[in-house]
Amino acid sequence: MLEYFDPTKDLGTPAILSETMVSIEIDGVSVSVPEGTSVMRAAALHDINIPKLCATDNLEAFGSCRLCAVEIEGRRGYPASCTTPVAEGMQVTTQNEKLGRLRRNVMELYISDHPLDCLTCPANGDCELQDMAGAVGLREVRYGFDGENHLDAQKDNSNPYFSFDPSKCIVCSRCVRACEEVQGTFALTVDGRGFDSKISAGVAQDFVDSDCVSCGACVQACPTSTLMEKSVIDQGQPEHSIVTTCAYCGVGCSFEAQMKGDKLIRMVPYKGGEANEGHSCVKGRFAFGYATHGDRIKEPMIRDSIDQPWRAVSWEEAFEFSAKKIHKIQAEHGRESVGGITSSRCTNEETYLVQKLIRTAFGNNNTDTCARVCHSPTGFGLKTTLGESAGTQTFPSVSKADSIVVIGANPTDAHPVVGSMIRRRLREGASLIVADPRDIDLLKTPHLSEAIHLQLRPGTNVALINALGHVVMTENLQDDAFIGDRCDKEAFEQWKAFICEERNSPEASEEITGVKPELVRKAAKVYADAGNGAIFYGLGVTEHSQGSTMVMGIANLALATGNLGREGVGVNPLRGQNNVQGSCDMGSFPHELPGYQHVGVKDVRDKFEAVWNVKIDEEPGLRIPNMFDAAINGNFKGMYVQGEDIAQSDPNTQHVEKALRALDCLIVQDIFLNETAKFAHVLLPGSTFLEKDGTFTNGERRINRVRKVMPPLAGLADWEVTLGLSKALGYEMHYNHPSEIMDEIALLTPTFTGVNYDKLEKLGSIQWPCNDESPEGTPTMHVEDFPIGKGNFAITEYIPTLERSTRRLPLLLTTGRILSQYNVGAQTRRTDNMVWHAEDVLEINPYDANERGISDGDWLGITSRAGNTVLRALVSTRQLPGVVYTTFHHPGSGANVITTDNSDWATNCPEYKVTAVQVEKVTQPSEWQKEFQAMDKKQLQFLRAEKAPAETAQ
Amino acid sequence: MRNSKEQLIHMVNQIVENNQHGGPEKAAAATSVHMKKFWARSMKEDIIEYLKTDGSDLSDTAKLAVGML
Repeated sequence: MLEYFDPTKDLGTPAILSETMVSIEIDGVSVSVPEGTSVMRAAALHDINIPKLCATDNLEAFGSCRLCAVEIEGRRGYPASCTTPVAEGMQVTTQNEKLGRLRRNVMELYISDHPLDCLTCPANGDCELQDMAGAVGLREVRYGFDGENHLDAQKDNSNPYFSFDPSKCIVCSRCVRACEEVQGTFALTVDGRGFDSKISAGVAQDFVDSDCVSCGACVQACPTSTLMEKSVIDQGQPEHSIVTTCAYCGVGCSFEAQMKGDKLIRMVPYKGGEANEGHSCVKGRFAFGYATHGDRIKEPMIRDSIDQPWRAVSWEEAFEFSAKKIHKIQAEHGRESVGGITSSRCTNEETYLVQKLIRTAFGNNNTDTCARVCHSPTGFGLKTTLGESAGTQTFPSVSKADSIVVIGANPTDAHPVVGSMIRRRLREGASLIVADPRDIDLLKTPHLSEAIHLQLRPGTNVALINALGHVVMTENLQDDAFIGDRCDKEAFEQWKAFICEERNSPEASEEITGVKPELVRKAAKVYADAGNGAIFYGLGVTEHSQGSTMVMGIANLALATGNLGREGVGVNPLRGQNNVQGSCDMGSFPHELPGYQHVGVKDVRDKFEAVWNVKIDEEPGLRIPNMFDAAINGNFKGMYVQGEDIAQSDPNTQHVEKALRALDCLIVQDIFLNETAKFAHVLLPGSTFLEKDGTFTNGERRINRVRKVMPPLAGLADWEVTLGLSKALGYEMHYNHPSEIMDEIALLTPTFTGVNYDKLEKLGSIQWPCNDESPEGTPTMHVEDFPIGKGNFAITEYIPTLERSTRRLPLLLTTGRILSQYNVGAQTRRTDNMVWHAEDVLEINPYDANERGISDGDWLGITSRAGNTVLRALVSTRQLPGVVYTTFHHPGSGANVITTDNSDWATNCPEYKVTAVQVEKVTQPSEWQKEFQAMDKKQLQFLRAEKAPAETAQ
Repeated sequence: MRNSKEQLIHMVNQIVENNQHGGPEKAAAATSVHMKKFWARSMKEDIIEYLKTDGSDLSDTAKLAVGML
């Protein structure tokens, strides 16, 4: 039989994938299920619901509660249906008097050590213990409550988002198993034995001090109110829910937004979400408080100069003010003197509209997106080699990988749900290869079998990937059949000749990378011989002067070993922001219209011109860094920035600030007064993902619906704001709903022709390409061929970055992210996630610290050729001597004051990952930090001055 | 830090350096195609103007590439 997946029903035990079917009879009903399925699941699939407490279908069967006991013809006793697999001809009875008595006895014992406060319990109405008491017909507890019990056990309220009330705990171990099996952290344990058993975070620690990463899997698994969201404790059970997509990282997790009226009570990961399969991280699960934070901008505001206070105005006045300024600039400085930046945080539809506004109302191609500073090399590199600017797999495909290579990525922090999927596969025996200057948490995965850490020097990725390729080709590890059938012969022969040169050997590369040749040789063999080798990579690959070369090197390796075109393999870029993939797909880059169609191609332009009814410039526009340079030169004067904080996120902050100050009109559309908005003349209130309809596309090309759960705080969703601005600029667009925008996208974008909202409702999500050839989408790319026909091996010559350590700047700084904060922190800094990361620090190896007399907590001045800033020290062995590390989640840290103007040769993606610095102990903030604080104070005063009268009036 | 002209010069030289396999002529052609495909009109005009008026900081291959624009 087919198992129709109903994400709302808990079938008790996980699905078993077997083609062999087994037939049994349950309560007289004939049932046929895959071999290995539990009796409990077989019954539940036929709506025969056996009582259960310790079982849930995202965890392996445990068989501890005994509530699911059944009778099986010919077998002794009462086996637990959760741990008993079906057997051909089995006859099962799930309900009779004996079983009823047995279950009541079990429940009686549970309830004898459980508070009888159901009416005032936060789980009232959503408690499996309560439900089961009802299901088994419990009417009395004969044991009384006078004996030894746990009713006085102390609550642990240390976690900001959930409480742990052990007095309610039935020690079913679901939380412990969720932490192990779903999250992979192993932070929880059952401490003690028998009656003394209790759930413990770490070694009798508070939750917040333990290894717990607050993913919420334990809270979701808990059948009682032992682990309970504080928002539910405070506000009661939600009354309706809407499935939507998380607005944090590029994993694109589906969540149920559980509501009370238009108030969000909690976000619960949606079991039907195909990217996350019911799991979540601390950000998506809990850190949604920013959406209703007091700092939200609620009214449009304008001013003539950034030295003036803001003036709140109507939407119409703001649009007219903006249009007048843009028109004046273009009249004085030319059509190309303005441009804009689309947001990788907004929806596909909104991004599409912004680039459309720029190409139509502005009349040029000066559009770009934050992918410029993160994954633009992915677009260039993968398009050159594989023919499409996107990852090749589904995330769950990793469950079929035998070897997992993680390059320049830290999935457990930056893409935690994918990190958990990887960890699960590693526990099952897959090998792990990490190429990273830093020790990442994946390397500490509990029950990890084989792991190789290629701890290379920052900036030497290409030398390393070439060495891996060299081993594959010189040790005859390549997949000749794949290369012969699927790859361009001439390109392969050229690459083969190049890669086999001795200068690319691991031995020759050691001097560059610092990685022992034997480790490189071992890693290459492990990957090539694995059967299925999957590569995941992140910004540690792209944010280099050779970011594009490295992406091509990764693709070369996958092509050479035949690790493409099926499940369990592939090249998987881990996208930073929620809709980076989508913003690239939607034509945000200055040289490409939606669907990566070059503006220089007449047929492409003709198609868009016919629908948009304008002439499109045939020349590419300016990229973000080129816009900054042009602004400083005085020939770029106006900018429309939707949902992006370039003043904090882009490198060489002082250069960016100089550019922003040079603009005559900066229009910022954002939910907060972000760092960029402090340089703005128009501030248009943005809307959060909870306040609008649309779609996001995650890192596996999955188009997921974003659904409005509450009205926009300032009255308009972001797509409506762009429509208003465009109309004022003289180019009116007509859409009544984002679904109509998607219809236009589908009309103009070959990879989206089959996408529409009705289909998304029906299928849940769609991975593009979705067109006549693949009407329901394409989970795995390149199965039969590549969009360019044959796979293209690219020559990947290693060119050292100009950014090198010197006597004056002897250390190399690399930057990254941590679990609890997101990107520039504008959202997560306005949540209780601040508990875990209240400031950015500089991690420094003990050797380098000792040389400079540095201890934990010291203030350190960090100087590069771009600037200097001051951070506290954290002495850490996570990076080798000579390498220091920091994050960029707090604007005052000035991490990007230090990063330089170096960038990827092909795309201008900044080289965030390599900056030569010197570090010394200091006693006061840097000059930039002092100026930042003064600017921040002044701009907040300007904002408060405007907000105060409005709030008084309310 | 580089000014905008220095940055453009650096960018051309960098593209050349990353396309050197196959010799200077192929590298120049690849660099020229790259600039045509990805550079804004004003950037191309500026680098062409620089080659005409000075060009001393462009590598020989970069000069060839800019000349092909």
